[in-house]
Amino acid sequence: MQSALHPAGPEAAEVANLWWAMFVGSILIMILVVGMIAWGLLRARGDEKLAGKTMIYLFGIGLPLVTLTALIYFSVDLTTRSRSGDTVAATIEVVGKRWWWEVRYPGAAPDGSDIITANEIRIPAGQPVEIYLSTTDVIHSFWVPAIAGKLDMIPGRLNRMVIQADEPGEYRGQCAEFCGEQHALMAFMLVAQPPEEYAAWLEAQARPAPEPEDPFLARGRDAFLDAGCGTCHRVRGTTADGVLGPDLTHVGSRLTIGAGTLPNGIGPLAGWIADSQSIKPRNLMPNFNNFDGETLRAIAAWLESLE
Amino acid sequence: MDHPLSPLAAPAAMLVALSCLALLTGCESEVPDHLMVPGGDVRAGREAIRDYGCGACHVIPGIRGARGAVGPPLEGFSHRAYIAGQIPNRPEELIQWLADPPAMIPGTAMPGVGLTPQQKRDVAAYLYTLR
Amino acid sequence: MSKRDLLTEVWRRPAGIRALTEVNNVYVGRYFIATAFTFFIFAGILALLIRLQLAVPDNDLLDPVAYNQIFTMHGTAMMFLVAVPIMEGFAVYLLPQMLGARDLPFPRLSAFGYWCYVLGGILLFSSFLFGAAPLDGWFMYPPLSLSQFSPGVNADFWLLGITFVEISALTAAVEIIVGVMKTRAPHMRLQDMPIFGWYMLVTALMIIFAFPPLLVGDAMLEGERAFGFPFFDAARGGDPVMWQHLFWIFGHPEVYIIFLPAAGIVSTILPVMVGRPLVAHNLFILSAVSTGFISFGLWVHHMFTVGIPHLSLNFFSAASMAVAIPSGIQVFGWIATLWGTRPKMTTPLLFILGFLFIFSFGGLTGVMVASVPFDWQVHDTQFVVAHFHYVLVGGMIFPVFAALYYWMPLHSGRMMSERVGKWVFWLKFIGFNLTFGPLHFAGLLGMPRRVYLHPEELGLGPINFVSTIGAFMMGVAALLFIIDLIRHHRHGPIAGSNPWNAGSLEWAGTTPMAPSGSTSLPPVQCRYPLWEDRSLNDRVQAGEFYMAIPATGGRETMRTGSISGEPEQVIVLPGPTWIPLAAAISVAFMIVGGLLYEGWMILVGGVVTLSLLVRWSWSTDYRHPEEIVNVGMNTRLPTYGSAPDSHAWWGLATALLADLAAYGGLLFCYFYMWTVAPEWPPEGIEATGERLPVAIAAAILILGSVIVQGSVIALRRGHAWIAKLAMPLAALAGLAWIGLELGVALDAWPEPQAHNYPTMAWAVLAYNMLHVLVAVLMALVVTLRLWLGLVTPERSIMIDNTALFWHTTLAFALVGVGVVHFYPLMLQGG
Repeated sequence: MQSALHPAGPEAAEVANLWWAMFVGSILIMILVVGMIAWGLLRARGDEKLAGKTMIYLFGIGLPLVTLTALIYFSVDLTTRSRSGDTVAATIEVVGKRWWWEVRYPGAAPDGSDIITANEIRIPAGQPVEIYLSTTDVIHSFWVPAIAGKLDMIPGRLNRMVIQADEPGEYRGQCAEFCGEQHALMAFMLVAQPPEEYAAWLEAQARPAPEPEDPFLARGRDAFLDAGCGTCHRVRGTTADGVLGPDLTHVGSRLTIGAGTLPNGIGPLAGWIADSQSIKPRNLMPNFNNFDGETLRAIAAWLESLE
Repeated sequence: MDHPLSPLAAPAAMLVALSCLALLTGCESEVPDHLMVPGGDVRAGREAIRDYGCGACHVIPGIRGARGAVGPPLEGFSHRAYIAGQIPNRPEELIQWLADPPAMIPGTAMPGVGLTPQQKRDVAAYLYTLR
Repeated sequence: MSKRDLLTEVWRRPAGIRALTEVNNVYVGRYFIATAFTFFIFAGILALLIRLQLAVPDNDLLDPVAYNQIFTMHGTAMMFLVAVPIMEGFAVYLLPQMLGARDLPFPRLSAFGYWCYVLGGILLFSSFLFGAAPLDGWFMYPPLSLSQFSPGVNADFWLLGITFVEISALTAAVEIIVGVMKTRAPHMRLQDMPIFGWYMLVTALMIIFAFPPLLVGDAMLEGERAFGFPFFDAARGGDPVMWQHLFWIFGHPEVYIIFLPAAGIVSTILPVMVGRPLVAHNLFILSAVSTGFISFGLWVHHMFTVGIPHLSLNFFSAASMAVAIPSGIQVFGWIATLWGTRPKMTTPLLFILGFLFIFSFGGLTGVMVASVPFDWQVHDTQFVVAHFHYVLVGGMIFPVFAALYYWMPLHSGRMMSERVGKWVFWLKFIGFNLTFGPLHFAGLLGMPRRVYLHPEELGLGPINFVSTIGAFMMGVAALLFIIDLIRHHRHGPIAGSNPWNAGSLEWAGTTPMAPSGSTSLPPVQCRYPLWEDRSLNDRVQAGEFYMAIPATGGRETMRTGSISGEPEQVIVLPGPTWIPLAAAISVAFMIVGGLLYEGWMILVGGVVTLSLLVRWSWSTDYRHPEEIVNVGMNTRLPTYGSAPDSHAWWGLATALLADLAAYGGLLFCYFYMWTVAPEWPPEGIEATGERLPVAIAAAILILGSVIVQGSVIALRRGHAWIAKLAMPLAALAGLAWIGLELGVALDAWPEPQAHNYPTMAWAVLAYNMLHVLVAVLMALVVTLRLWLGLVTPERSIMIDNTALFWHTTLAFALVGVGVVHFYPLMLQGG
């Protein structure tokens, strides 16, 4: 799932082929080197024709010149073809934060505003999409091994790459540039969907959170707002409009929480709220264990309902 | 300066040592009869525990990454006399508890996470392997 | 006392506490090696902790903070406290005797470098005691390493400790270069120099050019952390990528700074093991030199994922692959050397064969990561971790073990156990491949580097478990080695004279090596003198050749022609002294003051350091009462040499090369910012400052340089009184320049913290002000010595060196003034 050897996009596929070619080539060269050492020590006579400078010119200069020229040719060609392209089916902005990912679809809502989500990127399968990468704090690096290699997110810069997932599927990605305490648990899911499902998802994401009908869910929402969760989190359709943490308007629709740390669901949501510091030590959200048990469940239930 | 052992003796001995190490695998524990969960599959239970993220709240032996400190750690669960300090720890009650904790203890912080009936049995079976 | 005993007597290490004052390479070199080996064990223990944490998925043995500290310190220690110093140690220990000298030309500098290194290393490791070990990774990328995201003193420990260690690397480099060029065996032409000398010469030159840019970077990063100068803060016009450039301009050559000495070790030991000279000696030299050059053009391959235009990616990709060719030449050169020799499988040879295997494999994966699209996948993953461990452990640690086994008799007079050695080798070799072979696949399967855990869902458990087992095998190997190391001092077989039947001169004499080196210095006209003339060893010990009796009555070595090796001078060497240790301690005091933000400590440390340095330089220009002495073999040599022949002049010139590299790094930053900044100079910020006073100041500084040169000429013609009166004027000119420049800069950019542009301008100016200040001090010291009659037409090194420094400073300053005050005009005009 998070593997460069199980490619699901054109760039990753070509690189995987390149890897296997280089791997086989390297094994052959290693056999040559080890074989020559063994032969040279055990069997060869010092006055053989191959001994001396001929060997160096042949294998030390000739061999690398030929293989490297070929490799440079393929490598440069692949570099030049990769990541660029102007016709794209979607534009997505991904912003690295310690230690999660903000994902924006600029102007994708029917009213022309941005759709904002977190830690999950949905794209139409089989179509190229462009991704703009930036950061609001330290350097991060965007990497979905099954789809493409990585590209850094650097303060003061905006990097662009074009990626494509050939088939619908879920592909795990992870931060690849050391970014502090929770670099290890800064993951996300890239979900490629058939284009029509993707369009439906976009439409759903554009809607604000609905007014809960179940009083238990309403109690959860009220507790969420009363506890000040809105200082950091936004839930469109409520007064919560914080921007420090992930937008939770459709948190229930996501596959994971805590940037790929836990599967989504009422249980992990409750556990995360009460004690995220045990699950993901030093993440920037403090523990909220001042609710009574029922209230905690209500908040988790309400969040789970935000699909 | 002479070396009685052939140069290959050292690596050979090392490989023997390594294979001995490989033999040190874990062994399954036996569950007492009164804690047997009919139709519960331990392996599937472990899967469910992982998929539902039970580790967000509990430390659960055998589940890597289960490091939550919201609820009690589940080490030695089969020896625990009461579930949540109130309910006798027996398979029947445990399955009921897993289905809907607030129905049994209204004030509990533990939600029903939506296990299917089969998953409840599986999870219970797994929990009783914890000694 | 007989005259022969005099040699032993003058080189004897002082007893008791005064042993700390020893400066002789035979001791200092071994201190370096032993200390580096100790840090190697520490850093290895950290590595085992890393592997323990990663052995199983989702492990919570270590919390993320502890883990980050551990991997940061593992990398930092292995690179800065182990790899570079241990190679410097071998060079300091072996080069003089191998080249047929008695010591390196600046023994006190070696000792100072050593003490800086020890104190810097202790400082770095002491951070664990305060729970404040560096935790931003060994390349310390901002903004993570800036105070906003790393508020503790952790990063300061790193920056200050590393600065200290870098000083030590630079001193060793100066020492090695001058040693190789000026103090070889009598008549040893450059082309007859042992291959290790060539490799160390290239390495030292690389240190001279690679380390200073990092020093500049360290100063910038500390400046931003402590005082808020926005070099890297993007919000105030800086650029975090600038650090990456600076770091890797150092960091890539660093890899070869580690590898080339190791290749030199292999090229030295392998011919001895197989009993045949190195095949294609000259191709090896060519490879070393071309590796040195190419390695400075590769740094961007550490930054392929930064988002750099494809054209430059392709350039650096091709250059990175090109470096495989010199490596190929060497690998097949070694194979050609062992071809058909049927050698005895001794432990050093096993380690060399292990090196050949592992290094070749690391080279192949190196070619892979030089391919841009492939690097996009594996950059910052465990694949890269595996790759560079193959290159560094294979390319450095294995040769170091070969070297330890091979040269141990020089130290202890005894052989280490061949039987234990085979166990050490196989445990290390199998353990290594088990540790790092599988990690290539961990990276390809999606495991980034520097993660404190890997979730079970990634399925990386088995690979990591195997890797951990391998790591512990390496740990056992290290333990066995240490046990045998201790044991052999007492129980190892006596090595006697030249136990490996080697061809190079460090074996001329008996083991253990005497502090003076060999009894007499033979004339050498071939690469393997002990093979060429089988009786040479006995004749050397019988004192048949040069300098068997100290001609000046003290420690001395011979200065020889840089190319020809013709004897030129007897260099009178300083003996044991407290100055190096005291100077290192006072610099450490200053640095600890910086860590604690205690101004008084910095001030006291600075004043003490400065006075110690003046005290030190006071005794450098020594003139022996006997002008010409007899060094044996019917040769009479002068005891004093004037610049530019003298080793002192060479030393300063080499140091100024390093200075040039630092300044180059700084100017690179300035022009780099110009190319990446949207607008340079930025709107609303003063561009150049007042130009008239700056022009006047520049003219005054030129005048100062003219005065200094005039004084040199006047002194040479015997008019010392002119120099006596003129040198203070030069000092005045320097002070005037500083004053005028300060005035203009303060007026133009009173608040450099506001934006990167004024910060860069100030940085360039401050660099030059510091230089002019040093030039002024030198002028004053020379003045004093002129008046005391210690600088005379016959004894002029001090004033000659001062002139060299003055002219360099002037050139730097004129460039700096042009860049800061005039260059922006051209940009605005265009």
